[in-house]
Amino acid sequence: MFAVDLHTHTCLSPCAELDMHPAGLVDAADSAGLDAVAVCDHNSAENVAAVQRAGRAAGLAVVPGMEITSEEEVHILGLFPDMESALEMQSRIYRSLPGRNNPDVFGMQVVADEHAQVLGFNEYLLSGATTLTVEKVVSSIHELHGLAVASHVDRERFGIIGQLGLIPSGLKLDGIEVSPRTALPAARAAYAPNGEYPILCNSDAHEPKDVGRALTYMFLEEPTAAEVLRALTGCGGRTILGGGRPMEDLALHVLDIARNSLDAGATRLEISLVEDPASDTFVIEIRDNGPGMDPLTLAQATDPFFTTRKMRRVGLGLSLLYQATRAAGGGLIIESTPGAGTHINATFQHSHIDRAPLGDIETTIRVLMAGQPNLELLFLHRIGEREYEIDTVEVRAALNGDAAGSAEELALLREAMRRGEAGLLQA
Amino acid sequence: MNVAEAAKRIEGTIITGAAADRNVLGGYASDLLSDVMANSREGDVWVTMQKHVNIVAVAQLNGLACIVLVNGRQPEPDTVKRAEEERIPLISTPLQAFEVAGILYSAGIRGRGAA
Repeated sequence: MFAVDLHTHTCLSPCAELDMHPAGLVDAADSAGLDAVAVCDHNSAENVAAVQRAGRAAGLAVVPGMEITSEEEVHILGLFPDMESALEMQSRIYRSLPGRNNPDVFGMQVVADEHAQVLGFNEYLLSGATTLTVEKVVSSIHELHGLAVASHVDRERFGIIGQLGLIPSGLKLDGIEVSPRTALPAARAAYAPNGEYPILCNSDAHEPKDVGRALTYMFLEEPTAAEVLRALTGCGGRTILGGGRPMEDLALHVLDIARNSLDAGATRLEISLVEDPASDTFVIEIRDNGPGMDPLTLAQATDPFFTTRKMRRVGLGLSLLYQATRAAGGGLIIESTPGAGTHINATFQHSHIDRAPLGDIETTIRVLMAGQPNLELLFLHRIGEREYEIDTVEVRAALNGDAAGSAEELALLREAMRRGEAGLLQA
Repeated sequence: MNVAEAAKRIEGTIITGAAADRNVLGGYASDLLSDVMANSREGDVWVTMQKHVNIVAVAQLNGLACIVLVNGRQPEPDTVKRAEEERIPLISTPLQAFEVAGILYSAGIRGRGAA
């Protein structure tokens, strides 16, 4: 299981901050817990190689990419298996990109190396539109063995639906992207109700603090450009597990805490979400059979400066959940005994203006199962009188027990959760 | 005023003219197709830079009188084919959008507020 953000800019993009130089981007991706990023500057790939070099030292995979502006002013991400394809796409783009940049008006277009040294300034009008139609952009990407993803379809300006009213029929997109403003369940309902396109959650970061603000989880053999492209096409069992906004979505807080449990050695988890309109409460409970915490660790657990991990992964664990409950008129209770597991109860006022959105709980469950195939997980979601429950032991039994962690199991899990969630929301 | 008369006033060439006798009831100018879908009204002459095939779908959806491509822009072949099939008049004019709107406004064509 790997966390990727496939839409980031560097200081080459005129609208990006200067501290998004290659090493700055890699540092930001590292502290956001990402395994891979795609570098997608506007109409150019000149900083990709430097980010790859900076990424190599930090163990971060870097997918060569480009955010291409079509003639209709639609943004399309081209994601490529290697630098050669990306650079060939770049020369095609440069031949079709009129105008020269005016740095005072549009911003500087800095070509930099992995040591934050300025190598020069790109003179093309990277913020401009190419003379290529959106169909031509997509077919060019495909000729060069890349994949084409429509950028931020939830944004009016430069989004394909905003610019063209609807996604043109017959356009061979390999996926669509939503910006951090849209949670995955809403994106599915609006743009791919019948699974028409894989959906990526990406940050579109133009400054370091936004890198990984939205991210996508993928089931890959290893984090490489080739594997990321396989997941987008659903090739060889590689797949997209889901995505969301780690600092916002409650579902990703739950994921973070559950992963801590697994890291600590838990083999069984019970996760329940109980939304009760009558009492205006939203209660999240997570119970594990892990080693538990001693009183000192327990006392420190909600301190944001405390972690038992050496490096921050996604989210800030219990301290962030604690803050989220307090901000929404609720609270956090942790019960733990060494040797007897941990029980976490996070309560929110359901209607509170500052209650974080749930986000996509399907992502949480699929990422947990993909990461630890033998996990016993019991999940319950209740809204008012309705509820559904998923027991992964039962899901696995339906597959004759030998399919733990397989793409087949993950697909079955997804279907069960979609049915369950749809049942909860039915009028 | 019908579409053929409007085309003449703005120095336009009619590319697909099967329904050029259609009456023009108002006007709308925008290059953002989602905006045109939301705010244009039936019988509008639509003034735009966009020449992608989707403009025909949008015109069809909202029952627009015709599409005017400004700055001498020529439609994609797909767009012409779809416009013929859907009987949507397509006009190309060498004039810019500002001029086109001004001429049509002077001739009595008005924007009609949001639908």
